[in-house]
Amino acid sequence: MASVVTGAQNKRPNPNSTSAAATREGDQLIITPLGAGNEVGRSCVYMSYKGKTVLFDCGIHPAYSGVAALPYFDEIDPSTIDVLLITHFHLDHAASLPYFLEKTNFRGRVFMTHSTKAIYRLLLSDYVKVSKVSVEDMLYDENDIVRSMDKIEVIDFHQTLEVNGIRFWCYTAGHVLGAAMFMVDIAGVRVLYTGDYSREEDRHLRAAEVPQFTPDICIIESTYGVQLHQPRPVREKRFTDVIHSTISQGGRVLIPAFALGRAQELLLILDEYWENHPELHNIPIYYASPLAKRCMAVYQTYINAMNDRIRTQFANSNPFDFKHISPLKSIENFDDVGPSVVMASPSGLQSGLSRQLFDKWCADKKNACVIPGYVVEGTLAKTIINEPKEVTLMNGLVAPLNMQVHYISFSAHADCAQTCGFLKELMPPHIVLVHGEANEMGRLKQKLVSQFADSNTKLYTPKNCQSVTMHFSSEKMAKVIGKLAEKVPETGESVSGLLVKKGFTYQIMAPDDLRVFSQLSTANVTQRITVPYTGAFEVIKYRLKQIYESVESPPVEETEVPTLIVHERVTIRHESDTYVVMQWSADPISDMVSDSVVAMILNIGREGPKVTPIEEKTQEEMERMARKVVHSLMVSLFGDAKFGEDGRLVITVDADVARLDIKSGEVECENQGLRERIKTAFGRMQGAIRPIPKP
Amino acid sequence: MGTSVQVTPLSGVYGENPLCYLVAIDGFNLLMDCGWNDLFDPSLLQPLSRVAKSIDAVLISHPDILHLGALPYARKHFGLSAPVYATEPVYRLGLLTMYDHYLSRRQISDFDMFTLDDIDAAFQNVIRLKYSQNYHLSENGEGIVIAPHVAGHLLGGTIWKITKDGEDVVYAVDFNHRKERHLNGTVLESFVRPAVLITDAYNALNNQVYKRQRDQEFIDAILRVLRADGTVLLPVDTAGRVLELILILEQYWAQQHLSFPIFFLTNVASSTVEYVKSFLEWMSDSIAKSFEHTRDNAFLLKYVTLIINKSDLENYAGVPKVVLTSMASLEVGFSHDIFVELATDAKNIVLFTERGQFGTLARMLQVDPPPKAVKVTMSKRVPLVGDELKAYEEEQEKIKKEEAVKKASIVKVEEVRATSSHLSESTKGDSMVIDPASATASPKGSSHFRGQMDILIDGFTPPSTSVAPTFPFFENTAEWDDFGEVINPDDYVIQEEDSNHMVVNGKSLDVKPDEASVHLLLDSTPSKVVSHELTVQVKCALLYMDFEGRSDGRSVKSIISHVAPLKLVLVHGSAEATEHLKMHCAKHVCPHVYAPQIEETIDVTSDLCAYKVQLSEKLMSNVLFRKMVENEISWMDSVAEKTNEKVLTLLPPPSALPTHKSVLVGDLKLADFKQYLSTKGVQVEFAGGALKCGEHITVRKISDSSQKGGTGPQQIVIEGPLCEDYYKIRGHLYSQFYLL
Repeated sequence: MASVVTGAQNKRPNPNSTSAAATREGDQLIITPLGAGNEVGRSCVYMSYKGKTVLFDCGIHPAYSGVAALPYFDEIDPSTIDVLLITHFHLDHAASLPYFLEKTNFRGRVFMTHSTKAIYRLLLSDYVKVSKVSVEDMLYDENDIVRSMDKIEVIDFHQTLEVNGIRFWCYTAGHVLGAAMFMVDIAGVRVLYTGDYSREEDRHLRAAEVPQFTPDICIIESTYGVQLHQPRPVREKRFTDVIHSTISQGGRVLIPAFALGRAQELLLILDEYWENHPELHNIPIYYASPLAKRCMAVYQTYINAMNDRIRTQFANSNPFDFKHISPLKSIENFDDVGPSVVMASPSGLQSGLSRQLFDKWCADKKNACVIPGYVVEGTLAKTIINEPKEVTLMNGLVAPLNMQVHYISFSAHADCAQTCGFLKELMPPHIVLVHGEANEMGRLKQKLVSQFADSNTKLYTPKNCQSVTMHFSSEKMAKVIGKLAEKVPETGESVSGLLVKKGFTYQIMAPDDLRVFSQLSTANVTQRITVPYTGAFEVIKYRLKQIYESVESPPVEETEVPTLIVHERVTIRHESDTYVVMQWSADPISDMVSDSVVAMILNIGREGPKVTPIEEKTQEEMERMARKVVHSLMVSLFGDAKFGEDGRLVITVDADVARLDIKSGEVECENQGLRERIKTAFGRMQGAIRPIPKP
Repeated sequence: MGTSVQVTPLSGVYGENPLCYLVAIDGFNLLMDCGWNDLFDPSLLQPLSRVAKSIDAVLISHPDILHLGALPYARKHFGLSAPVYATEPVYRLGLLTMYDHYLSRRQISDFDMFTLDDIDAAFQNVIRLKYSQNYHLSENGEGIVIAPHVAGHLLGGTIWKITKDGEDVVYAVDFNHRKERHLNGTVLESFVRPAVLITDAYNALNNQVYKRQRDQEFIDAILRVLRADGTVLLPVDTAGRVLELILILEQYWAQQHLSFPIFFLTNVASSTVEYVKSFLEWMSDSIAKSFEHTRDNAFLLKYVTLIINKSDLENYAGVPKVVLTSMASLEVGFSHDIFVELATDAKNIVLFTERGQFGTLARMLQVDPPPKAVKVTMSKRVPLVGDELKAYEEEQEKIKKEEAVKKASIVKVEEVRATSSHLSESTKGDSMVIDPASATASPKGSSHFRGQMDILIDGFTPPSTSVAPTFPFFENTAEWDDFGEVINPDDYVIQEEDSNHMVVNGKSLDVKPDEASVHLLLDSTPSKVVSHELTVQVKCALLYMDFEGRSDGRSVKSIISHVAPLKLVLVHGSAEATEHLKMHCAKHVCPHVYAPQIEETIDVTSDLCAYKVQLSEKLMSNVLFRKMVENEISWMDSVAEKTNEKVLTLLPPPSALPTHKSVLVGDLKLADFKQYLSTKGVQVEFAGGALKCGEHITVRKISDSSQKGGTGPQQIVIEGPLCEDYYKIRGHLYSQFYLL
């Protein structure tokens, strides 16, 4: 495992040297929000480190339509992205996925949790159906969604996966069913992306987990800025009280809520409240979402992703099988005769059933509208929270806003206290805030800066397409294993072997161990070649001896046929009168030796049967000859050269005198230049007059 | 140098006894599985009893008796208190399996090895993991990471990978590489070169027929009997392989629009299927996919009727039907009784889908030729009447009196208890794993509490460390409201006599829909077991088909040689099979193959040497990597330098080191090479195991016996006469390798 020294404060001392600058390129971790930077909606965060690229989430902006709702995909090259991780099924986190998968050159892998995938399919089909945009503005259609399903892979909570050396796993986020926080580990640098999370356990979801390991960077949502949620029982009481008092005065209650996620929680609350208040049993509750109805099977199946409370209830009866709540198909089927409670989507009152009901009921002060969660900037729901006198209806007319508007947040986003607590437990050195309006985010940043004032924590609030760059200088650690590791070397001793890199781990091993410790294997290629030759075998031997220092000929008894071994590499066997067989194990040097042998044998053949004296010269004779040759060559090079009394060759050039020991090749000379020249010359002579020495 | 690893089998070697092995990693004792058999023979657990207290963690691989049956007993009697790790389905289905066994046993005997409470207690400290979740152990086990991976065979079935310091110990028993209807195949093959692999030899000698053919034969056999007005009995396990059988039947019934009724009868049938429905993420990809697209849960059964009471079958007495019922061993449970009823009629068939456990009725019936008649014991729990009842009541009276005396002695503590509702609340929560909300259980909870008090008072010995020994004091944490102290009415319910205790237990157990079945058993009326032996003429057809969902011998061998562990430990399999696999693996996989005896400790510490070095930036800037499959590889020459006490840094060598022997890296497949050559326009064909390229050149691979999984390099020979082709082919051959 590569260990990592994190933080910008640990910059290498000499950043100017070129090699350090080159490696720093790879040590740079870049985070760029392509959406959700200083805004809420179209979550999409790009991250790149050591040539690995991860994209978190792929949402759309609910306040815009068409291409304008997409994150800024043109800032990046989708084909370079290795992994795309989707935290949960909400449109602002997942809805541009079919577009990204089908309409761009993205080739990586996509992961989400099981329940997210199941709901994603239903939710997006519904989104395509209800979004009333012209055909050219459609980002994708039903077929794209179905095709995208085949590309999406699933990951279970805590399951660790590895793609291209990127390791990642996810934790429960507590926001909606299947919501996950992703931890990504690239070469030992950990990045936590929370997505939307909540640290409060509710009726059916678990609270977000605190990861076991501290991440180096935490990319965290800041939706609620410095706001604090009321305690859950208080909120629930307010909610039920508002509804109870409104309907007892004969009014109607509209709850604009997104079909999935919070809606299920609110339905659980309402069903329980009705159960405990028999006097309300004649008041109908409707939830006007065929989508939610379709998703119920998913909620019933993935109970293991929910909290213990719901799992316990599940053992007895299905808690999502509501007793007092009935589905409502459309406004045409709605018999608006008396008090009632209707939960309808969309949550922002932009269009659809919730808007139709709002238009119908807004003028009556007996009625109430309960906004149960976060509302996105630019929607009608956001407008009416400020209780304007008048509102514009869908048909363009202006109507007085008389109905009561209550904002009781059940949205499962962390509030300031939760965020601070969460970060305090984790203490990440770098915090990147995303998914929050600029103002809220700014306030949260101030708060966090003061909280982490005495630690070295860095805070970033990048805008869309604004990159945050961090440096992580990593020291690469390798593990020496196998035969190579039998002895731990001391300083100055050499370590040589194969360096094998897999993902971000390095191993050093002897070639023989490669097969043991990796999936790779080594090979020996034995080459065997027959060369036509009709002459005497002894001729080959003689010629070879002139070229190579070591030419062995083992006794015939051992080898059956006359054999020569050149430099212990190439074996030549005289197998028949018409050819010789050469055999060697392939490597560059042996190949070269064999090539020269082949050339030589062919030459002998071409020269024809020529009688060559086959007499073994003694070592002494050889030496004498060598002396002679060297002497004459030296004379031709330097002029004055003669043998001195001690047997050394004395070379005199102008005033400089050099003494050369022919046996050892040592040169004694005052003049540096001359000595080097003589040395070089002598080396070349040796190479020419003697056979090639054995390495 | 490496991590020390010792393996000690406690049960289940050289035979088919339950699985239970002790694996010690650097002194940390892991118990791999904790199995028992259907006969609950305590003698099998002797070796476990000797080491149970020293165990630090228990890893369970499959939810059946053979893998986890002894957990409650070992916890109760041997003091096995270590945390248990298992996947969610193994936990849940294992619990149901234990309930089913207990209830079946209890119906026919005064079974007292363990109680439902013991089962709950044993499963309470199960830590549930997800597949491929890397769980870092703490304290003693610091540095050890355990991770469950898909095993196939049973839902949630696990092969365990235990990692310390980069060395893997893989425990893989009863895996299945084949993808089935409800399960994915194992991922064992994706592990490469673990330090130690512990696996079973159970199927080493078995080979399977094709799945499709087997399924067809299975359906044919069933239909033949049904069409001849017979009944098909499928003795199955509680929550394991039966799931696959149910899906096969469901699928076929749907295809053919059959109307023969199918029953799934166990004490926990409906709970089982209810839970299985919520385990989709643990099942095969195709099931997950169909749910994602259509939201049709595969276990939303349309043809199989779930029943928990044998009397429900009475309406269908003469009707041809399929009955899936537990236990597979026919020793106890509904299958035992139904077998006795069906055996005498030649129309019927008993279709075994797994090999019976050794020494059970199922095993006896599976021999060839099948026995003509078998002796069985029919037992029944009947209410006490007349004198017996009287005697029983007197007995109870006596016990009651004794209790009363005891109670008086602890009346003070009692008072404390009554008010400390908070405390009893927590005890209550502990004693019930599944349904803490059930208020009916609270008297039981408090009685449990009182039991503890007894001990504290009777044998009160001050702990040696305490300075001033005092009697235990419990803070009064009573809550107050407008009407005074909040009381829990249950605390004031008068304790009923002991026999009622059972009812309470029954309710605390969360098998609500199945309660009817335990009604007789847990009835408050005193009862006894009457049994009589009888000889059953076996006239019905008997058939065994392999639906065990384990990899067969051939696949096991190829998987092991693919995984190619450095050391291999073989367990669980007949002596013959173990020997066979041992011989095979020693020859083809690795030289270190062990098959230890019970309680024989073998040391499989890897003799691997290793040390860590830091790679300096300077060195790395000179290294050029070549990419090979998932790896990048390079030759590296360096000089070591000790920068400080611990860290060894590698620097580039100051001068050129002597050239090293060159290495060819790559894995040549002749078939691939052939294809490559033909794309290069070389005439190429296979001739006698060698590749004939062009006119004269041959390329061969010499396979020596040690080559497969062995450590030697591949031997490739290229030969031919001196010609241009030779050098051309050689060039192509070289291009298949990296020269370092």
